[in-house]
Amino acid sequence: MTSLQILAAATVAVPMMSALAAALVPAGWVTRAALTGTVATAVLALCLAGRAVADPGHPVIGSWIVIDAGSGLLLAVIAMTGLTSVLLSPGWLRGATGSVVAARHRHRAYYTVLLVFWAILLAVPLAGNLGVAWLLVEATTAVSALLVGFSGRRHALEAGWKYLILTSLGLGVALLGIVILAAGLPGGAGGLTWQHLAAFGSGKPAAVTAYLLLLTGLAAKIGWAPVHNWLPDAHSEAPPPASAMLSAALLPAVLLIAWRSERALAPVIGLHQAQRLLIMFGLASLAVAVPFLWRPMPFKRLLAYSSLEHMGVIALGVGFGTPLALAGVAVHIVGHAIAKALGFHTAAPLLAHEPRAASHPVTGIGRTAPALGTAMGISLGALSGLPPSPLFISEVLILAGGFSSGRSWAAAVAAILLALGFLGLAHAAIETVAGKAHKRSKHGPDGPGLAGLGPVTALAGVSAVLMLLLAAAAPWLTSTGFIAALQRGMP
Amino acid sequence: MTGLEAWLVVSLGLGVVVVRRRSVATGLVTAQALILAGLALDRAGTSGDVIVAAALGVRALALGGLFWLAVARSREQRPVRAHIAAPLRAGIAIVLILALTALVPPFGLTSPTAGHAVLALVAAGLTCVATRRATVFQILGIVGVENGLALAALMSPHASSLVIELGVTLDLTLIATVAALFHLRIFSEVGAGDSAALRGLRD
Repeated sequence: MTSLQILAAATVAVPMMSALAAALVPAGWVTRAALTGTVATAVLALCLAGRAVADPGHPVIGSWIVIDAGSGLLLAVIAMTGLTSVLLSPGWLRGATGSVVAARHRHRAYYTVLLVFWAILLAVPLAGNLGVAWLLVEATTAVSALLVGFSGRRHALEAGWKYLILTSLGLGVALLGIVILAAGLPGGAGGLTWQHLAAFGSGKPAAVTAYLLLLTGLAAKIGWAPVHNWLPDAHSEAPPPASAMLSAALLPAVLLIAWRSERALAPVIGLHQAQRLLIMFGLASLAVAVPFLWRPMPFKRLLAYSSLEHMGVIALGVGFGTPLALAGVAVHIVGHAIAKALGFHTAAPLLAHEPRAASHPVTGIGRTAPALGTAMGISLGALSGLPPSPLFISEVLILAGGFSSGRSWAAAVAAILLALGFLGLAHAAIETVAGKAHKRSKHGPDGPGLAGLGPVTALAGVSAVLMLLLAAAAPWLTSTGFIAALQRGMP
Repeated sequence: MTGLEAWLVVSLGLGVVVVRRRSVATGLVTAQALILAGLALDRAGTSGDVIVAAALGVRALALGGLFWLAVARSREQRPVRAHIAAPLRAGIAIVLILALTALVPPFGLTSPTAGHAVLALVAAGLTCVATRRATVFQILGIVGVENGLALAALMSPHASSLVIELGVTLDLTLIATVAALFHLRIFSEVGAGDSAALRGLRD
């Protein structure tokens, strides 16, 4: 094993061992064990991501593990999202009431499941084999469904059940696609490595069918329209730190599998045809998301529909496939993760400040809790694509990539939908932060009663700085070897 | 795969779509999975194949036991009524089977019969999830889909990957266990394993 492969194995093993520790140590040590393991995991994952991103021309490609530019990008995103989610969990747990397990086991169960979910998620971008990638994605479903239903409330159970059934069914369809691929590959299921998929020998009609089934099945997990029904419910009912991981890390991680499949199968089914399906999913997701962004709705639900929009944008970028578009995709994945994680993390103090926010739209938070309102405003402003948000620049890059790839009609429709989405979300941001305040906080403005507000305020500051840096670096990114490696896929 | 074997597993899959009682449906899915394990054992040529066959058998019994336990711990006064009558559900399943077999080109299994049986099992499972309200039936539908995919893996002309086959078995067991936990929690919350009773999240 090379040092990188050892690092990759450690990146997955450490959070798994931390989960085990959280499950076994005395009750008073659970949080400490989880936090210690989390910091160690984040350091390992970021080191690995740094190595992969710094040297994109020399990927490590094996039958089981791949460490390339795409892995590096997603590892960094998953590491940062997981780190903030675990670090901010104590604040949420302090303020939360009720859970699916007995109160005395709540912390232990929560950290154990969250860390297992994180470990599996970190393994997804490292999977060197479509079959293994599917196994990991399916495993995230079982584990994260427990997080979605963690509060044990009726709505959480409904969301968890819907998520479990719809995504399992979708992944079943994807598995049918994989089985068709395996039947046409020289090595059978053992030949499902990314590099060998192009050797599919059962003919183009079977390859197209397999690709359609695979992508449609993965779409159900990514949350692409029209198979997105679970997404708004699951993201709004899960604990905020878990919502952040679902939206900022899980969706793009599964999207990477769809992306890798498109790259790997393009020689068999034709690049244009492979990309067309992604563009269709992208446009459908945008078209379905935009009307919801115009409607007043509970804050977490609004963020969930924004996830649908942004997964659509990323699908478009991958479908356009030019260096401009792929630079946009890279910036969009990172920018979306930062802004969306911040948004979901503000939900814990928001619910403490205004409990009706769980089921109603909120307005004027900046008037009753300025620090909280500012954090929410940063998140919503960035997600809407308001300059200088990196998402504004990434969307421009993706649209420019679309026009330069000759898919002008798709880029034009996307531009209109993105403009409408911007107006809807920007309006929601203004109303949420500066609209008419519904109530005066019983804790006083940003008072100590707002569980977890301090860390969220600090996160807002760090997020704002990171997003500005990302926006500044974005235009320079297009001509780097990193984007060339993303476009090339597996050598 | 003989025509008789194919008809047997497909009939069991269709049975799950139409039967009324959860315990009967659990028995049908378990029988289907055990037949697949038998087929796997019959075709086993290497020690890896035998391990896969054994894993399928253990999975069949484990899931059967799990669902039996879930049903036993959530006794209902009367079965949850599906909003679509049994003959119509059967009709939907048959139309979907015919559509899938017409649309999906041959994909290289050892016999066309096996390919059709796989698609029929997937269609029956999808119909079960889409047309039944009872939570146990919905998860049995997913197990039915996975049984179809296990059949496809068995009938592949190439050697199977032990890691992936065992991984799929483990994943399905994990999903079914989590689903059973949800089912019991839903039952204690609404007094029935009825997914329709949960429809509170709307935009």
